[in-house]
Amino acid sequence: MRNLINFIQKNSHWLLFIILIALSVVLLIHNNEFQRSKYLAVFREVAGRVYSVSNSVESYMNLKSTNADILKRMSALEQEALGYRRTIELLNDSLREKGITFATNEDVHYRIMPARVVNNSVNKEDNYITLNKGSLDGFKPDMGVFTPKGVVGVIMSVSPHFSIVIPVLHHKYHLSCKIKDSNYFGSLTWEGGDPENTLLTGLPSHATFNPGDTILTNGYSPVFPEGIPVGVVEGALNRKTGENKSLKVKLFTDFSKLSEVMVIENIFKDEQLNLEKGVQK
Amino acid sequence: MGKSFIRISVLFVLLIFLQIWLFNKIHLFGIATPLLYIYFLIKLPVTMNRNIVLLLSALMGFILDLFDYSLGLNMLALVFTGFLRYYVLNFLAPRDIFEEYSPSFSTFGRFLFIRYAATLILIHAAILLTVDTLAFIDPLRLLLKIVSSSLLTFLLVVTFESIDFDIVKR
Repeated sequence: MRNLINFIQKNSHWLLFIILIALSVVLLIHNNEFQRSKYLAVFREVAGRVYSVSNSVESYMNLKSTNADILKRMSALEQEALGYRRTIELLNDSLREKGITFATNEDVHYRIMPARVVNNSVNKEDNYITLNKGSLDGFKPDMGVFTPKGVVGVIMSVSPHFSIVIPVLHHKYHLSCKIKDSNYFGSLTWEGGDPENTLLTGLPSHATFNPGDTILTNGYSPVFPEGIPVGVVEGALNRKTGENKSLKVKLFTDFSKLSEVMVIENIFKDEQLNLEKGVQK
Repeated sequence: MGKSFIRISVLFVLLIFLQIWLFNKIHLFGIATPLLYIYFLIKLPVTMNRNIVLLLSALMGFILDLFDYSLGLNMLALVFTGFLRYYVLNFLAPRDIFEEYSPSFSTFGRFLFIRYAATLILIHAAILLTVDTLAFIDPLRLLLKIVSSSLLTFLLVVTFESIDFDIVKR
């Protein structure tokens, strides 16, 4: 017995080493669940605060180019709105001639809220983004995140003042997309490496495309509405994956310069999911 | 003891902040990220209790993981490196010094310190980046990442070592 205690005392570092390694492996395997858990909200809050401090300097330095982007986007939207207003007026006029009154639909399907990126990485194999708003601002897990240029990702977890986004640059994230003109759809994934290059997989082998075709979200998942830009086709991937075809897609979003983003909430998401779940049963 | 305790604590906090605020955002040529926090393990006193070395490595890794949203990753790599540090020291450290001292240019000599630091940096980068890339296996890219990140870290360690910080050095 004394020998045993002696042995353990002498080799306690081995025991401690094995315990610590086992602990890190458990943490590593369950990382995604832990990140989603409510118990870690306190740490997310702390990390968010630390990152906000360093970000306030960075975002000030990016102000000029961000402003230019916003102005550009605003003028484009302004022009689009003018076009719509004109169409509505024309429609209203023609309807009035026929004696029909046009009830405006006040029910919005999607709500869009702005947020700022306080932390972001592109160099890991699994990247995460921290936003400066959280549950107190109405942010919830599974809301979509995008910029005027293109898709960013989806909110994974929230704390009162911050939220964590799984971007497209994460090996577990798959985004349902389609080719703009042909409407063939597939799943967008990232295989690590260059933060611009992704793959659109699972296309039928007869799908046609041209390099330069735009890739858009297809609206099949309740996270994003249809037609948010994602990237541009660079070419086919010369890798046999059974019946399916894969395309190389260059993302529109520049993840290394991300600062202002928009968060989109599908108000009818739960309704859609519940209905779909009911059918599957 | 008191003086070295303060020195170790300052280094611990300083390196974590530098990593979170600065080095984690650097991504040279799309592959190299400096992992300077390993300097903490390098500078721990040679005679320090091995269990304490392991616990400090685990703690540092855990804090870095919380900020990286990658629980277990840095912890695994640092605990492994902290464990192997003893054997690296056994193999490389000069044996004619008996009191508690930290590895440095002056205590080890330039050549020995560089060998010791480079070994730890390489072990750490290899474990960290291999575990990180397990999901996508591309050996050439992985090797490139390990070598370039180690090299960058090594340059920073030598720079740090050459600057005479009163608080860091004895």
